[in-house]
Amino acid sequence: MKYSDPRLQNLLAGEYVLGVLHGAARRRFERLLMESRTLAAEVTAWEGRFASWALRLKPVAPPDYLEWRLMGRVRNESRGRSVTTRNLFWRTWAVAATVVLAIVVVSQRLTPPAQVKAAEFALMSDAKGTPLWLISVHPEANRVDMKVVTPNPPPAGKSYELWMIPDGGKPVPMGLMNETGQASETVSSELLARLAGAKALAISEEPQGGSPTGQPTGPVLWVAPLVTT
Amino acid sequence: MAAVSQESPDRNRVLTDLLHACAQGRQTAFQALYREVSPQLFAVLVRILKRKDLAEEALQDALLSVWRNAGSYAAEKGAPMTWMVSICRYRALDMLRRERREVSLDMEREDIDEDGQEVSEGEMVTDTVSVSKAEERKLDECMGRLNDGQRRSIRLAYVDGCTHEEIAAKVGSPVGTVKSWVRRGLESLKRCLEAA
Repeated sequence: MKYSDPRLQNLLAGEYVLGVLHGAARRRFERLLMESRTLAAEVTAWEGRFASWALRLKPVAPPDYLEWRLMGRVRNESRGRSVTTRNLFWRTWAVAATVVLAIVVVSQRLTPPAQVKAAEFALMSDAKGTPLWLISVHPEANRVDMKVVTPNPPPAGKSYELWMIPDGGKPVPMGLMNETGQASETVSSELLARLAGAKALAISEEPQGGSPTGQPTGPVLWVAPLVTT
Repeated sequence: MAAVSQESPDRNRVLTDLLHACAQGRQTAFQALYREVSPQLFAVLVRILKRKDLAEEALQDALLSVWRNAGSYAAEKGAPMTWMVSICRYRALDMLRRERREVSLDMEREDIDEDGQEVSEGEMVTDTVSVSKAEERKLDECMGRLNDGQRRSIRLAYVDGCTHEEIAAKVGSPVGTVKSWVRRGLESLKRCLEAA
Protein backbone atom coordinates (compact mmCIF):
# COMPACT_ATOMS: atom_id res chain seq x y z
CA MET A 1 0.00 0.00 0.00
CA LYS A 2 1.11 3.55 -0.66
CA TYR A 3 1.00 5.17 2.74
CA SER A 4 1.98 8.49 1.22
CA ASP A 5 -1.42 8.79 -0.46
CA PRO A 6 -3.25 11.46 1.61
CA ARG A 7 -6.63 9.87 0.96
CA LEU A 8 -5.43 6.51 2.21
CA GLN A 9 -3.71 8.11 5.19
CA ASN A 10 -6.92 9.78 6.19
CA LEU A 11 -8.92 6.60 5.81
CA LEU A 12 -6.46 4.55 7.86
CA ALA A 13 -6.44 7.23 10.55
CA GLY A 14 -10.24 7.08 10.73
CA GLU A 15 -10.24 3.28 10.90
CA TYR A 16 -7.54 3.37 13.56
CA VAL A 17 -9.58 5.73 15.73
CA LEU A 18 -12.76 3.68 15.26
CA GLY A 19 -10.78 0.61 16.32
CA VAL A 20 -11.48 -1.48 13.21
CA LEU A 21 -7.84 -1.65 12.15
CA HIS A 22 -6.54 -4.93 13.54
CA GLY A 23 -3.47 -7.08 14.01
CA ALA A 24 -0.55 -6.43 11.69
CA ALA A 25 -2.29 -3.52 9.97
CA ARG A 26 -2.78 -1.77 13.29
CA ARG A 27 0.81 -2.35 14.35
CA ARG A 28 2.09 -1.07 11.02
CA PHE A 29 -0.06 2.00 11.35
CA GLU A 30 1.17 2.66 14.91
CA ARG A 31 4.73 2.44 13.64
CA LEU A 32 4.00 5.02 10.93
CA LEU A 33 2.27 7.21 13.49
CA MET A 34 5.54 7.52 15.38
CA GLU A 35 7.30 9.19 12.50
CA SER A 36 4.59 11.14 10.70
CA ARG A 37 3.22 14.35 12.11
CA THR A 38 0.68 14.48 9.31
CA LEU A 39 -0.68 11.10 10.27
CA ALA A 40 -0.71 12.02 13.97
CA ALA A 41 -2.68 15.14 13.11
CA GLU A 42 -5.18 13.07 11.11
CA VAL A 43 -5.66 10.77 14.10
CA THR A 44 -6.19 13.70 16.47
CA ALA A 45 -8.69 15.22 14.05
CA TRP A 46 -10.75 12.01 13.94
CA GLU A 47 -10.58 11.66 17.72
CA GLY A 48 -11.95 15.17 18.02
CA ARG A 49 -14.69 14.58 15.46
CA PHE A 50 -16.11 11.57 17.31
CA ALA A 51 -15.45 12.74 20.89
CA SER A 52 -18.90 14.25 21.29
CA TRP A 53 -20.41 10.75 21.13
CA ALA A 54 -18.28 9.67 24.07
CA LEU A 55 -19.11 12.84 25.96
CA ARG A 56 -22.83 12.40 25.39
CA LEU A 57 -22.95 9.01 27.10
CA LYS A 58 -24.67 9.19 30.46
CA PRO A 59 -21.93 9.36 33.15
CA VAL A 60 -21.47 6.26 35.32
CA ALA A 61 -19.87 6.77 38.74
CA PRO A 62 -17.05 4.27 39.31
CA PRO A 63 -16.98 2.59 42.75
CA ASP A 64 -15.27 4.64 45.48
CA TYR A 65 -12.56 2.09 46.14
CA LEU A 66 -11.19 2.74 42.66
CA GLU A 67 -10.23 6.28 43.62
CA TRP A 68 -8.47 4.99 46.70
CA ARG A 69 -6.65 2.28 44.87
CA LEU A 70 -5.54 4.68 42.17
CA MET A 71 -4.39 7.34 44.64
CA GLY A 72 -2.47 4.65 46.51
CA ARG A 73 -0.64 3.68 43.31
CA VAL A 74 0.07 7.27 42.38
CA ARG A 75 1.43 7.89 45.85
CA ASN A 76 3.67 4.84 45.70
CA GLU A 77 4.97 5.76 42.27
CA SER A 78 5.80 9.29 43.34
CA ARG A 79 7.63 8.25 46.47
CA GLY A 80 9.73 5.48 45.05
CA ARG A 81 10.45 6.42 41.47
CA SER A 82 13.70 4.49 41.70
CA VAL A 83 11.98 1.36 43.01
CA THR A 84 10.11 -0.60 40.39
CA THR A 85 6.51 -1.52 41.13
CA ARG A 86 7.30 -5.19 41.05
CA ASN A 87 10.13 -4.83 43.52
CA LEU A 88 7.99 -2.68 45.73
CA PHE A 89 5.17 -5.17 45.62
CA TRP A 90 7.32 -8.08 46.66
CA ARG A 91 9.22 -6.11 49.26
CA THR A 92 6.01 -4.89 50.84
CA TRP A 93 4.63 -8.38 50.85
CA ALA A 94 7.79 -9.85 52.25
CA VAL A 95 7.65 -7.45 55.17
CA ALA A 96 3.91 -7.95 55.58
CA ALA A 97 4.26 -11.71 55.60
CA THR A 98 7.03 -11.56 58.18
CA VAL A 99 5.10 -9.29 60.50
CA VAL A 100 1.87 -11.27 60.13
CA LEU A 101 3.73 -14.51 60.80
CA ALA A 102 5.36 -13.00 63.90
CA ILE A 103 1.98 -11.89 65.20
CA VAL A 104 0.40 -15.25 64.56
CA VAL A 105 3.24 -16.97 66.39
CA VAL A 106 3.04 -14.56 69.33
CA SER A 107 -0.75 -14.71 69.58
CA GLN A 108 -0.70 -18.49 69.42
CA ARG A 109 1.72 -18.57 72.30
CA LEU A 110 -0.33 -16.17 74.38
CA THR A 111 -3.74 -17.70 73.80
CA PRO A 112 -4.93 -21.27 73.43
CA PRO A 113 -5.42 -22.06 69.70
CA ALA A 114 -9.13 -22.67 70.16
CA GLN A 115 -9.72 -19.02 70.96
CA VAL A 116 -7.87 -17.64 67.95
CA LYS A 117 -10.47 -16.51 65.47
CA ALA A 118 -9.87 -15.28 61.95
CA ALA A 119 -8.28 -11.89 62.35
CA GLU A 120 -7.50 -9.54 59.52
CA PHE A 121 -4.40 -7.46 59.10
CA ALA A 122 -3.35 -4.52 57.01
CA LEU A 123 0.21 -3.31 56.90
CA MET A 124 0.77 0.30 55.94
CA SER A 125 4.25 0.77 54.48
CA ASP A 126 6.08 3.54 52.73
CA ALA A 127 7.44 3.20 49.23
CA LYS A 128 10.72 1.73 50.45
CA GLY A 129 8.84 -1.06 52.15
CA THR A 130 9.37 0.27 55.66
CA PRO A 131 6.34 -0.80 57.70
CA LEU A 132 4.69 2.16 59.46
CA TRP A 133 1.58 0.74 61.08
CA LEU A 134 0.17 -2.70 61.53
CA ILE A 135 -3.58 -2.62 61.79
CA SER A 136 -5.40 -5.69 62.98
CA VAL A 137 -9.11 -6.35 63.18
CA HIS A 138 -10.29 -8.65 65.97
CA PRO A 139 -13.91 -9.57 65.35
CA GLU A 140 -14.16 -11.68 68.50
CA ALA A 141 -13.32 -8.66 70.65
CA ASN A 142 -15.06 -5.93 68.64
CA ARG A 143 -11.70 -4.27 68.42
CA VAL A 144 -9.32 -2.77 65.90
CA ASP A 145 -5.69 -2.40 67.00
CA MET A 146 -3.27 0.06 65.47
CA LYS A 147 0.34 -0.62 66.27
CA VAL A 148 3.09 1.82 65.34
CA VAL A 149 5.93 -0.15 63.76
CA THR A 150 8.00 2.84 62.65
CA PRO A 151 7.00 6.21 64.14
CA ASN A 152 5.75 8.56 61.47
CA PRO A 153 4.01 11.58 63.04
CA PRO A 154 1.78 13.81 60.88
CA PRO A 155 2.85 17.38 60.02
CA ALA A 156 1.99 20.10 62.58
CA GLY A 157 -1.72 20.87 62.65
CA LYS A 158 -2.63 17.62 60.88
CA SER A 159 -3.90 14.21 61.87
CA TYR A 160 -3.81 10.89 60.07
CA GLU A 161 -7.22 9.26 59.86
CA LEU A 162 -7.99 5.62 59.18
CA TRP A 163 -10.72 4.61 56.73
CA MET A 164 -12.30 1.37 55.72
CA ILE A 165 -12.88 1.02 51.99
CA PRO A 166 -15.99 -1.12 51.61
CA ASP A 167 -16.67 -3.17 48.51
CA GLY A 168 -18.91 -0.48 47.07
CA GLY A 169 -20.09 2.59 48.94
CA LYS A 170 -18.25 5.40 50.59
CA PRO A 171 -15.20 5.17 52.88
CA VAL A 172 -16.11 4.66 56.55
CA PRO A 173 -14.13 6.59 59.20
CA MET A 174 -12.33 4.30 61.66
CA GLY A 175 -10.64 6.82 63.93
CA LEU A 176 -7.37 8.73 64.13
CA MET A 177 -4.02 7.00 63.90
CA ASN A 178 -1.88 6.96 67.01
CA GLU A 179 1.63 8.38 66.81
CA THR A 180 3.33 5.96 69.17
CA GLY A 181 2.86 2.56 70.73
CA GLN A 182 -0.37 0.70 70.29
CA ALA A 183 -3.94 1.97 70.33
CA SER A 184 -7.25 0.16 70.18
CA GLU A 185 -10.59 1.28 68.87
CA THR A 186 -13.79 -0.46 69.88
CA VAL A 187 -15.99 -0.99 66.87
CA SER A 188 -19.64 -1.93 66.59
CA SER A 189 -20.75 -5.32 65.31
CA GLU A 190 -22.37 -3.57 62.37
CA LEU A 191 -19.06 -1.99 61.40
CA LEU A 192 -17.31 -5.34 61.85
CA ALA A 193 -19.77 -6.96 59.49
CA ARG A 194 -18.95 -4.34 56.87
CA LEU A 195 -15.24 -4.81 57.52
CA ALA A 196 -15.62 -8.48 56.68
CA GLY A 197 -16.47 -7.49 53.11
CA ALA A 198 -14.01 -4.61 52.94
CA LYS A 199 -11.34 -4.52 50.29
CA ALA A 200 -8.79 -2.36 51.98
CA LEU A 201 -7.92 0.16 54.65
CA ALA A 202 -6.58 3.60 53.87
CA ILE A 203 -5.06 6.52 55.75
CA SER A 204 -5.58 10.12 54.73
CA GLU A 205 -4.13 13.37 55.97
CA GLU A 206 -6.78 15.50 57.66
CA PRO A 207 -6.99 18.68 59.72
CA GLN A 208 -6.05 18.10 63.37
CA GLY A 209 -8.78 16.10 65.05
CA GLY A 210 -9.94 14.39 61.88
CA SER A 211 -12.06 15.03 58.83
CA PRO A 212 -14.74 17.67 59.48
CA THR A 213 -17.08 16.12 56.93
CA GLY A 214 -17.04 12.42 57.75
CA GLN A 215 -15.42 11.79 54.38
CA PRO A 216 -11.75 12.11 53.52
CA THR A 217 -10.82 15.69 52.67
CA GLY A 218 -7.03 15.47 52.37
CA PRO A 219 -4.70 13.33 50.25
CA VAL A 220 -4.79 9.57 50.67
CA LEU A 221 -1.32 8.66 51.87
CA TRP A 222 -1.44 4.91 52.36
CA VAL A 223 -3.70 2.12 51.17
CA ALA A 224 -3.29 -1.53 52.11
CA PRO A 225 -5.36 -4.63 51.43
CA LEU A 226 -6.86 -6.55 54.33
CA VAL A 227 -5.22 -9.94 54.72
CA THR A 228 -6.82 -12.78 56.61
CA THR A 229 -4.48 -15.10 58.47
CA MET B 1 -8.12 22.79 15.71
CA ALA B 2 -11.63 21.45 15.47
CA ALA B 3 -10.91 19.30 18.49
CA VAL B 4 -10.21 22.20 20.82
CA SER B 5 -13.54 23.84 20.16
CA GLN B 6 -15.30 20.55 21.02
CA GLU B 7 -15.51 21.67 24.58
CA SER B 8 -16.29 24.81 26.48
CA PRO B 9 -13.23 27.03 26.96
CA ASP B 10 -13.80 27.22 30.73
CA ARG B 11 -13.83 23.50 31.28
CA ASN B 12 -10.87 23.03 28.98
CA ARG B 13 -8.93 25.56 31.01
CA VAL B 14 -9.73 23.83 34.29
CA LEU B 15 -8.74 20.42 32.92
CA THR B 16 -5.56 21.80 31.38
CA ASP B 17 -4.62 23.43 34.70
CA LEU B 18 -5.15 20.13 36.47
CA LEU B 19 -3.07 18.22 33.90
CA HIS B 20 -0.33 20.81 34.23
CA ALA B 21 -0.32 20.39 38.01
CA CYS B 22 -0.23 16.60 37.59
CA ALA B 23 2.82 16.97 35.36
CA GLN B 24 4.48 18.69 38.32
CA GLY B 25 3.69 15.71 40.52
CA ARG B 26 0.84 17.25 42.51
CA GLN B 27 -1.29 14.37 43.70
CA THR B 28 -4.15 16.50 44.99
CA ALA B 29 -4.54 17.83 41.43
CA PHE B 30 -4.73 14.28 40.17
CA GLN B 31 -7.39 13.46 42.73
CA ALA B 32 -9.41 16.50 41.63
CA LEU B 33 -8.95 15.51 37.99
CA TYR B 34 -10.11 11.98 38.80
CA ARG B 35 -13.28 13.27 40.42
CA GLU B 36 -13.91 15.58 37.51
CA VAL B 37 -13.48 13.16 34.63
CA SER B 38 -13.91 9.60 35.92
CA PRO B 39 -17.74 9.25 35.60
CA GLN B 40 -17.65 10.21 31.91
CA LEU B 41 -14.62 8.04 31.16
CA PHE B 42 -16.10 5.13 33.09
CA ALA B 43 -19.28 5.41 30.99
CA VAL B 44 -17.19 5.12 27.82
CA LEU B 45 -15.36 2.06 29.18
CA VAL B 46 -18.45 0.27 30.50
CA ARG B 47 -20.08 0.81 27.13
CA ILE B 48 -17.18 -0.78 25.22
CA LEU B 49 -16.18 -3.51 27.66
CA LYS B 50 -19.74 -4.39 28.84
CA ARG B 51 -18.33 -5.59 32.15
CA LYS B 52 -17.82 -3.43 35.22
CA ASP B 53 -14.75 -5.32 36.44
CA LEU B 54 -12.96 -4.93 33.12
CA ALA B 55 -14.02 -1.29 32.94
CA GLU B 56 -12.56 -0.69 36.41
CA GLU B 57 -9.26 -2.25 35.37
CA ALA B 58 -9.19 -0.17 32.20
CA LEU B 59 -10.02 3.05 34.03
CA GLN B 60 -7.25 2.46 36.52
CA ASP B 61 -4.69 1.70 33.80
CA ALA B 62 -5.78 4.61 31.63
CA LEU B 63 -5.75 7.17 34.42
CA LEU B 64 -2.40 5.96 35.70
CA SER B 65 -1.17 6.57 32.17
CA VAL B 66 -2.73 10.07 32.24
CA TRP B 67 -0.84 10.75 35.48
CA ARG B 68 2.46 9.49 34.05
CA ASN B 69 2.05 11.29 30.73
CA ALA B 70 0.33 14.49 31.85
CA GLY B 71 3.48 16.37 30.91
CA SER B 72 3.21 15.29 27.29
CA TYR B 73 -0.30 16.71 26.89
CA ALA B 74 -0.43 19.65 24.49
CA ALA B 75 -3.20 21.45 22.62
CA GLU B 76 -2.15 19.74 19.38
CA LYS B 77 -3.33 16.45 20.90
CA GLY B 78 -6.89 17.73 21.07
CA ALA B 79 -9.06 19.05 23.90
CA PRO B 80 -8.04 17.59 27.28
CA MET B 81 -11.19 15.50 27.58
CA THR B 82 -10.80 14.21 24.02
CA TRP B 83 -7.22 13.23 24.83
CA MET B 84 -8.30 11.33 27.95
CA VAL B 85 -11.26 9.68 26.20
CA SER B 86 -8.84 8.43 23.54
CA ILE B 87 -6.42 6.98 26.09
CA CYS B 88 -9.35 5.13 27.67
CA ARG B 89 -10.77 3.89 24.37
CA TYR B 90 -7.44 2.52 23.12
CA ARG B 91 -6.87 0.79 26.45
CA ALA B 92 -10.34 -0.78 26.24
CA LEU B 93 -9.80 -1.84 22.62
CA ASP B 94 -6.51 -3.48 23.60
CA MET B 95 -8.28 -5.40 26.35
CA LEU B 96 -11.02 -6.52 23.96
CA ARG B 97 -8.44 -7.77 21.48
CA ARG B 98 -6.64 -9.67 24.20
CA GLU B 99 -9.94 -11.15 25.37
CA ARG B 100 -10.96 -12.11 21.82
CA ARG B 101 -7.71 -13.98 21.38
CA GLU B 102 -8.34 -15.94 24.56
CA VAL B 103 -11.97 -16.79 23.97
CA SER B 104 -13.19 -16.45 20.41
CA LEU B 105 -16.30 -14.40 20.97
CA ASP B 106 -17.95 -16.58 23.58
CA MET B 107 -21.65 -16.78 24.31
CA GLU B 108 -21.34 -14.65 27.41
CA ARG B 109 -20.32 -11.61 25.47
CA GLU B 110 -23.04 -12.20 22.91
CA ASP B 111 -25.60 -12.25 25.72
CA ILE B 112 -24.40 -9.06 27.26
CA ASP B 113 -24.36 -7.44 23.86
CA GLU B 114 -28.12 -7.81 23.75
CA ASP B 115 -28.62 -4.80 25.98
CA GLY B 116 -25.71 -2.97 24.42
CA GLN B 117 -27.60 -1.78 21.37
CA GLU B 118 -26.76 1.39 19.54
CA VAL B 119 -26.82 4.48 21.67
CA SER B 120 -30.46 5.35 22.06
CA GLU B 121 -31.62 8.86 22.76
CA GLY B 122 -32.65 7.83 26.29
CA GLU B 123 -29.07 7.10 27.25
CA MET B 124 -27.73 10.33 25.92
CA VAL B 125 -27.45 13.37 28.05
CA THR B 126 -26.86 16.72 26.51
CA ASP B 127 -23.74 17.92 28.19
CA THR B 128 -23.95 21.63 27.65
CA VAL B 129 -20.89 22.17 29.80
CA SER B 130 -18.36 20.26 27.78
CA VAL B 131 -19.62 19.88 24.23
CA SER B 132 -19.96 22.77 21.90
CA LYS B 133 -23.45 22.69 20.44
CA ALA B 134 -22.27 23.70 17.01
CA GLU B 135 -19.73 20.86 16.75
CA GLU B 136 -22.26 18.38 17.99
CA ARG B 137 -24.94 19.53 15.55
CA LYS B 138 -22.47 19.41 12.70
CA LEU B 139 -21.54 15.80 13.45
CA ASP B 140 -25.21 14.83 13.75
CA GLU B 141 -26.00 16.61 10.51
CA CYS B 142 -23.16 14.97 8.60
CA MET B 143 -23.97 11.55 10.06
CA GLY B 144 -27.53 12.13 8.86
CA ARG B 145 -26.29 12.30 5.29
CA LEU B 146 -24.79 8.81 5.41
CA ASN B 147 -26.84 5.78 4.52
CA ASP B 148 -28.21 3.65 7.31
CA GLY B 149 -25.54 0.94 7.03
CA GLN B 150 -22.67 3.44 7.05
CA ARG B 151 -24.15 5.29 10.01
CA ARG B 152 -24.76 2.19 12.13
CA SER B 153 -21.36 0.68 11.30
CA ILE B 154 -19.42 3.78 12.30
CA ARG B 155 -21.37 4.23 15.52
CA LEU B 156 -21.06 0.58 16.53
CA ALA B 157 -17.31 0.74 15.94
CA TYR B 158 -16.74 3.97 17.87
CA VAL B 159 -19.25 3.72 20.71
CA ASP B 160 -19.29 -0.06 21.26
CA GLY B 161 -15.80 -0.99 20.06
CA CYS B 162 -17.22 -3.55 17.61
CA THR B 163 -15.06 -5.20 14.95
CA HIS B 164 -16.13 -5.46 11.30
CA GLU B 165 -17.24 -9.02 12.03
CA GLU B 166 -19.30 -8.04 15.05
CA ILE B 167 -20.98 -5.23 13.14
CA ALA B 168 -21.75 -7.64 10.30
CA ALA B 169 -23.40 -10.03 12.75
CA LYS B 170 -25.45 -7.26 14.33
CA VAL B 171 -26.74 -5.68 11.16
CA GLY B 172 -26.99 -8.95 9.23
CA SER B 173 -24.77 -7.98 6.30
CA PRO B 174 -21.58 -9.52 4.88
CA VAL B 175 -18.27 -8.41 6.40
CA GLY B 176 -17.11 -7.02 3.04
CA THR B 177 -20.14 -4.76 2.87
CA VAL B 178 -19.51 -3.49 6.38
CA LYS B 179 -15.87 -2.73 5.53
CA SER B 180 -16.86 -0.62 2.57
CA TRP B 181 -19.64 1.11 4.58
CA VAL B 182 -17.05 2.15 7.14
CA ARG B 183 -14.63 3.44 4.48
CA ARG B 184 -17.19 5.27 2.40
CA GLY B 185 -18.84 6.58 5.55
CA LEU B 186 -15.54 7.97 6.86
CA GLU B 187 -14.80 9.65 3.52
CA SER B 188 -18.21 11.30 3.26
CA LEU B 189 -18.07 12.31 6.89
CA LYS B 190 -14.73 14.01 6.49
CA ARG B 191 -15.85 15.87 3.37
CA CYS B 192 -19.04 17.02 5.08
CA LEU B 193 -17.35 18.07 8.35
CA GLU B 194 -14.64 20.00 6.59
CA ALA B 195 -17.07 21.89 4.37
CA ALA B 196 -17.77 25.07 6.30
